[in-house]
Amino acid sequence: MLAALAAIPILIAVAVRLSSAVPPGRGPAFLDRITQNGLFVGVTGMLVSIPLFLPLTVGVVAGDTVAGEAGLGTLRYLLVAPAGRVKLLLVKYAGALVFCIVAPLVIALTGAAIGAALFPVGRVTLLSGDTIAPAEAVLRLILIAAYIAVSLLGLSAIGLFMSTLTDVPVGAMAATVVLSVVSQVLDALPQLEWLHPWLFSHYWLGFSELLRQPIGWDSFASNAWLQAGYVAVFGALAYSRFVTKDILS
Amino acid sequence: MNRRLLRWMPAAVVPAVIAAGVAVGSLPASAVDPLPAKSPEQVLALVAEHKVDALSGTVQQNSSLGLPELPQTGPSAASAQTSWLELLSGPHTARVYKDGPTKMRIQILDPMAERDVVRNGRELWWYSSKDQSAVHITLPELSATRLPGHEPLETPVKPGFPDSSSMPTPAELTDKLLAKLDPSTDISVGPDVQVAGRTAYNLVLTPRSQQTLVGSVSIAVDGENGLPLSLQVMARGQAEPAFSLAYTSLSLGAPDSALFEFSPPSGTTVKELQPPPRPLGAYPGRDVLPGRDGMPGSDGHSGGFTDVGRPQVTGSGWETIVGFRVGGDALDAEGLLAREPLLQEAMVSVPGGKVLSTSLLNVLFTDDGRIFVGAVPVEMLQSAATPR
Repeated sequence: MLAALAAIPILIAVAVRLSSAVPPGRGPAFLDRITQNGLFVGVTGMLVSIPLFLPLTVGVVAGDTVAGEAGLGTLRYLLVAPAGRVKLLLVKYAGALVFCIVAPLVIALTGAAIGAALFPVGRVTLLSGDTIAPAEAVLRLILIAAYIAVSLLGLSAIGLFMSTLTDVPVGAMAATVVLSVVSQVLDALPQLEWLHPWLFSHYWLGFSELLRQPIGWDSFASNAWLQAGYVAVFGALAYSRFVTKDILS
Repeated sequence: MNRRLLRWMPAAVVPAVIAAGVAVGSLPASAVDPLPAKSPEQVLALVAEHKVDALSGTVQQNSSLGLPELPQTGPSAASAQTSWLELLSGPHTARVYKDGPTKMRIQILDPMAERDVVRNGRELWWYSSKDQSAVHITLPELSATRLPGHEPLETPVKPGFPDSSSMPTPAELTDKLLAKLDPSTDISVGPDVQVAGRTAYNLVLTPRSQQTLVGSVSIAVDGENGLPLSLQVMARGQAEPAFSLAYTSLSLGAPDSALFEFSPPSGTTVKELQPPPRPLGAYPGRDVLPGRDGMPGSDGHSGGFTDVGRPQVTGSGWETIVGFRVGGDALDAEGLLAREPLLQEAMVSVPGGKVLSTSLLNVLFTDDGRIFVGAVPVEMLQSAATPR
């Protein structure tokens, strides 16, 4: 799955390399900058994958946590060991967390590497028009990856809860992915403006704050609080469901 | 069974705790020290003598003018064609940095893009990250104290104000508004308000005229240093503010001086402009009509404007109607409409021309090529347009 994610920036870089120049202002933001500076491949890769690819993979990983074991019939053997259900749940969520952290990092670093290989690398122009040295730009790439990792925490908690509801892993995965799409659709409806700050996908594209000079941390902080809330609520739901569940498989 | 219920407790308690936390957090901070009572004149004086010239803050602008709202979501930035119209509809956030009268930077934060105005002494830069273009003006010595106009934004606030800068700081807007005060307006001081975490006097201006579309204008004035913190314009018969501009965060003190040093990054299309012979924005309504790249004068407007007749002003106070004839090839009503398809859709046909109607301002484009602008009902514009 990580390999599939790594393929996204590679595809972007190769496509841009082979095609003619992208006129400014067309296509996803930053696409036109890639030819000037390869480091933008990482940013573009993350920007392109946050609406669908990343939630998809996170949904698969998080939806598989408990339901996967149940589907294979191994869940009861795991619980025979004197580890306890809470510990199993925590370990499973930790696994999903690690994926949330690693996935955007993979996109960012693969993107930066392939970009550096195919395009020139120089001072990076921020949205504000200021330029920063490549080393600092890599730091910002990692910051953006961290921002996205935080953004995906809420979704992974939802996936964990879904996973405790069913013994069919595909059901949990699909439900999680569908929820992420629904959340984004609701976020796009201006009539539901009051709801927007409460949607877990609301700040997903807010990482542009990290590409300005000076860096704005407002969106990072609001995002972290929101995701923490989702983790708490769905973590509690998953706990309650899992410890009361009759494990039959 | 009890044990089972107990285990569902966290699932109920955690959301409840979060809901309680949110409810407490969103309560208005009460029990702050009330400001000493002041008369409207004293508050005006406080504004007039405020000496805050170094600050950094975030400004939030909201408009609810009854114009169609443009969708702003998705990873790609909005297209350039809609750039000036979208400034009038929907919310905008900008960061403002100011250090003394000649150093200023305004960053309009768009999704995945940014527009910047940087002024450092005589150097004036405009930068748009969307199409990576920049405009550079070297200001003449004379105007070194004033920032010429750049972005249409606040024109609908009230006609008759020479509006100038883009995403203006609340201070600039209010100074202009107060300078225009005359007996047509009732001024009072409302209950204290909280803006950007600071306690402020709330100066309320209510037009005495019943004809104007403007319901009231309220200005929050920092109780400590007299800095205007927010501006809110209510339209008649509309519950939410038609236009509001307010600091959401503010810190006093000089910002990092590196912020004011701007040089265009490589790959940027830079356009050198001569400073305009007279301050831009001298005529209301002019600023609403920039070129499609959002820069007044960048496609020959300032050149073509000189042969356009002087504006004709009728009415007074809040009922002021400004009419002008558009001529030449630089700017005419038809050409303007053709350039802005969205604008065309927002127009309504009335006898004698077309009307662009918002909750604060009506603009009448007559069939014979004149434009009338006023914060008054359409009928008054039409009667102003009829030759006497």
